[in-house]
Amino acid sequence: MIIIDKISERKNEFIELPDEKLSKKTSLENCLLNLFHWKEKKKEIHEKKIKVALKINSDEELIFGENDLRYIKMIQINFLNFKDGRPFTLAKKLRKKFLYKGEIRASGNILPDQFVFLLRCGFDTVEIKEMEKDTWLELLEFDDGLYYQP
Amino acid sequence: MYKYSEIDKKIVANRVKQFKNQVDRRLSGKLTEDEFKPLRLMNGLYLQLHAYMLRVAIPYGELSSKQLRQLAFIADKYDRGYGHFTTRQNIQFNWPKLPDVPEILEELSKVEMHAIQTSGNCIRNISADHLAGLTIEEIEDPRPWCEIIRKWSTFHPEFSFLPRKFKIAVTGCSEDRAAILVHDIGLRLIKDKGDIGFEVFVGGGQGRSPYIAKKIKNFLPKKDLLNYLEAILTTYNQLGRRDNIYKARIKILLNELGIEKFKEFVEENFKRFSNKKLILDKSTIKNIFKFFKLPSLKPGLEKVPEIKNSLFLEWKNQNVLPHKHPNYSIILVSLKSNEKPPGDASSIQMRKLADIADKYSFGEIRVTHEQNLVLPHVENSRVYEIWNELLNINLATPNIGLITDTICCPGMDYCALATARSIPISQKITDHFKNYSHQKEIGDLKIKISGCINACGHHHVGNIGILGLDRKGKEFYQITLGGSAKENASIGQIVGPSFSEKDLMGAIEKIIKVYKKNKIYEKEDFLSVFKRIGIKKFKEKLYDNN
Repeated sequence: MIIIDKISERKNEFIELPDEKLSKKTSLENCLLNLFHWKEKKKEIHEKKIKVALKINSDEELIFGENDLRYIKMIQINFLNFKDGRPFTLAKKLRKKFLYKGEIRASGNILPDQFVFLLRCGFDTVEIKEMEKDTWLELLEFDDGLYYQP
Repeated sequence: MYKYSEIDKKIVANRVKQFKNQVDRRLSGKLTEDEFKPLRLMNGLYLQLHAYMLRVAIPYGELSSKQLRQLAFIADKYDRGYGHFTTRQNIQFNWPKLPDVPEILEELSKVEMHAIQTSGNCIRNISADHLAGLTIEEIEDPRPWCEIIRKWSTFHPEFSFLPRKFKIAVTGCSEDRAAILVHDIGLRLIKDKGDIGFEVFVGGGQGRSPYIAKKIKNFLPKKDLLNYLEAILTTYNQLGRRDNIYKARIKILLNELGIEKFKEFVEENFKRFSNKKLILDKSTIKNIFKFFKLPSLKPGLEKVPEIKNSLFLEWKNQNVLPHKHPNYSIILVSLKSNEKPPGDASSIQMRKLADIADKYSFGEIRVTHEQNLVLPHVENSRVYEIWNELLNINLATPNIGLITDTICCPGMDYCALATARSIPISQKITDHFKNYSHQKEIGDLKIKISGCINACGHHHVGNIGILGLDRKGKEFYQITLGGSAKENASIGQIVGPSFSEKDLMGAIEKIIKVYKKNKIYEKEDFLSVFKRIGIKKFKEKLYDNN
């Protein structure tokens, strides 16, 4: 899998570890945590001021405490199904309600035809199969920046 | 009429290119049918029983003669020479071939038309009162508001993958001809202390669980319209059910939460997410209204001349309405003749009607949600002339609002979901009651027929509703009574066990007998009698074997 933004491929600076490796790891810096691990390690993250990334599924609910977001460099929203449009609203919420400035990434079951919508709702990057990269970037060429919504 | 701006043109042209790319990817196998489905649906392309079906958007039901001619051209070149006008004021073509569809979309774009968001789980074509801008009692013309909503909802990045489809209707009158109370959102323009704004209803719908919409806002200032719609859609997109397709509409969410709780979420989202750029300023509104001015109407006769021709007088009596300009009339063109399925028009009729619209009605045509057409501005002095021309193309059936003016879904003749045929039922009714004076004696009565529980034929809100069912491979029809889609909206009550196709007409005849026997004054209509006497008397008559 590779990460792309609206221009090209981007280096993935976050690592996702299986449970047993995560528990042995001394520093959580730049680790991609799921919601369970995030809740479990939240105290430590706050205390040590560690920067992590958070991965949630499209059917999970996000509730943030005060200052949580300053330790989350990236939020990855994983589409369980491309027809499930909740992440579009979730990204808007992150940007507008929580004023989140970090990276928002889409992963999972998504279509290249959704790329423009994702970008317009506040996503920065998508995780896709390497072989699909050209299609994703080609479809962006249909976007001429003309939209009815401000 | 609205005219495309450069931006509209580019957006539609771009969508044609994009869809062509999607079709190419589907045909080459890069997209699976499952992946292609929501993409094609967002472009109005369904897979039906025998073939693809393309649904073309007619925003708020307004058509120009040029557009109607193009629809006729498409019907001839890519289909079987006819089109079907729908209950959402759109038109469907039943036989296009997938590789032709990008070309059809290109042909449509030449006359400022498209098939965007006529299906799929997104905000659908915005519908409106078909008499918008034409009546004296109207508070304000709903069409400019529909156009504002159309733009906002087109390719909305957040609301293109909703839990289920989403329908919005707008009216500017207290009399509801747009069925706003059976829409996901219904908007009614109202006046409050001199200000005009919207009364907002939410959560209406038909399908297997019919609901009448509930009022969520007594008065919404015009400037806040889009932010408020956005707040409702945000709430729905976030909380609407996605586990069960039959429980995914906003009506179910609203009824599970209760209107008060639902409203709290909406108000919170409205407060939290209101976007300054979505606030409608006076100049934006004014610019849109410019497109919807009345054409320049000239003085003429106060009344339609009473020509001594009984067929003409029947038609005039039934299909001609007064225009707000005293020297003009509104003509309703019935698509419910006994020769064609309800809502169908041949390419010949479309072309001829386009010519008639040019000659008599400033090139304007409208589509009603009851599947008829309207010629909106006809000089009183020319009504007889136009009748003659309509008669020549079999479009002068005098039955608007009467028992043979049925709403009917395509049913098992076309639709993959249907459990029974509905078109033949409608045709039987049209045949049975074809005598005008008999129909007139029965008076205003709406029969609505659906070929399955999904209720595309609006049977829940028919004064008499007919629902086609499959019982062990045989078609049966369940009857509901007392439904209405008007301002007094109500869901019909099931009268009892269903009838076979053979017994159905007899049952309808009995219902009419009970009605006639119980009306207490000459013009008391069916719905009024039903509300007064209740379902019991109808039941007794229908299921009394003695």
